[in-house]
Amino acid sequence: MVQIIVYGIITGAFYGIAAIGLSLVFGVMHHLNIAHGSLIMIGGFAAYWFFHLLKIDPFVSIPFVMIILFIFGALLYKGLFSHLDKLPEGQKIDNSMLVGFGLIWIIDNLATLAWTSDARAVTPSYTGKVWQVLPGLRISFVGLIIVGIALLVIFSLHFLLTRTYFGKAVRATAQDRDAGNLMGINVARTYLTFFALSASLAGVAGVLAAVNYSVHPMVGFEWLLKATIILVLAGVGKIGPVFAAGVLLGIAEGISVYFVGATYQEVVGLVIFIIVLLIRSMR
Amino acid sequence: MLEIQKIDVYRKDIQILRSVSLAVGEGKITALLGSNGAGKTTLLMAISGLLKPKTGSICLKGISIDRQPVHKIVEMGISMVPEGRRLFPEMSVFENLELGAFTKKARDTKGQMMREVFEIFPILKTRSTQIAGTLSGGEQQMLAIARGLMSRPKLLLIDELSWGLAPIMIQRISETIKQINKTMGLTIFIVEQNVSITLEVADFGYILENGRIVGEGEAKQLLESDEVKDAYLSIGDV
Repeated sequence: MVQIIVYGIITGAFYGIAAIGLSLVFGVMHHLNIAHGSLIMIGGFAAYWFFHLLKIDPFVSIPFVMIILFIFGALLYKGLFSHLDKLPEGQKIDNSMLVGFGLIWIIDNLATLAWTSDARAVTPSYTGKVWQVLPGLRISFVGLIIVGIALLVIFSLHFLLTRTYFGKAVRATAQDRDAGNLMGINVARTYLTFFALSASLAGVAGVLAAVNYSVHPMVGFEWLLKATIILVLAGVGKIGPVFAAGVLLGIAEGISVYFVGATYQEVVGLVIFIIVLLIRSMR
Repeated sequence: MLEIQKIDVYRKDIQILRSVSLAVGEGKITALLGSNGAGKTTLLMAISGLLKPKTGSICLKGISIDRQPVHKIVEMGISMVPEGRRLFPEMSVFENLELGAFTKKARDTKGQMMREVFEIFPILKTRSTQIAGTLSGGEQQMLAIARGLMSRPKLLLIDELSWGLAPIMIQRISETIKQINKTMGLTIFIVEQNVSITLEVADFGYILENGRIVGEGEAKQLLESDEVKDAYLSIGDV
């Protein structure tokens, strides 16, 4: 049982990283970027090619992958999502989903053309390295690093949002866009940077996915599903709850594998998703 | 200080302002009066850059600002206290003030400005860690004004000072406005429905009706004039 919980925490830490970018962009800019999963997929492939062609360790490649996704995210925002900012609040979500849906189609199929639909994994020498901490409790090296990175992401995001001018500008414009503008905040540039930043976080998630699981061109949708469940569980735009919800989902999946079997792992997440939606809509 | 020349301003396809011209004198408090829907807020939005005039020009100290983005206009020295205050409700008083000093130039003098606004509004100092959304109406208006001062503006725009305030609070805050104008030498452009109180603090006034300027004059004269008395003060039979 302890093993299941520890495994759930590791899985949840990964889910949290996968969901955080989606949640922050939704919370601040009211864009539901459903292509977030596809950005994770690109991050995974980037890590794969860094590892295979340049022999760069996946965890070392994280900064490079982040830069690639940052630039890609900035282009996506500038070219597509920024045009939605002029729409009234209610229409932003719908239209950003349409744009995101189109992007999934394009990105995933281009990835299939370029890299074939094979699943690939990054397998550095330490893959499968496991420590027997206690009798009946094993922790993998990769899992430990994932939890460490998740903590690093939580604390640096918290620092960024509460202690820096950029973070305060982000929070202020999330609460009142025009008022933020009237303080002298360049809203367009702040949003551009923030969107690109969240894309780079998708890059981090992609690297971890490639090491801990595997990537193929259609894998983005699976991660999007997890991220959406977490978004519903955690509420919008908060950092801590996203990771808490990730861990909760991870543990719930672990327990279901233990009692019901791995086939129904996906079902559990979706059942939680529907229950939470039902309860929320009742209020 | 601020010169507006014959601006036409639209919201979507509807024309709100029709050939409005006015001037705000340096070091003065200028008031724009008018009833609901006259276009007062639209005029302030045009000055601050949130709306762009279709024709005409807006100049700050001779430099045209009507094609500048909002954040540049703030950097050039125009600060706005918006209608309904528009604080950042989930942030502390301190953070709201910090955001008021967001421009690069204002960041350098943030500490000193903070001391100055705490001197003007001592209550804000005792409340500095409180979340802005939980302040009382009067305190929120004080914070909105203080936040507007943080960028060290040349010109402060105030939209509906009296919005949602008790009469005693309106009196007190408008006295503070007068004091800020005197001690800091700050030029203030104030937009109001509450005519009598505004004309008491203002030096000069304009009257806006259906998107046009229909009257102007020294505040004292306007207060005495029959038009203003009839239209806004309702002295005599009601």
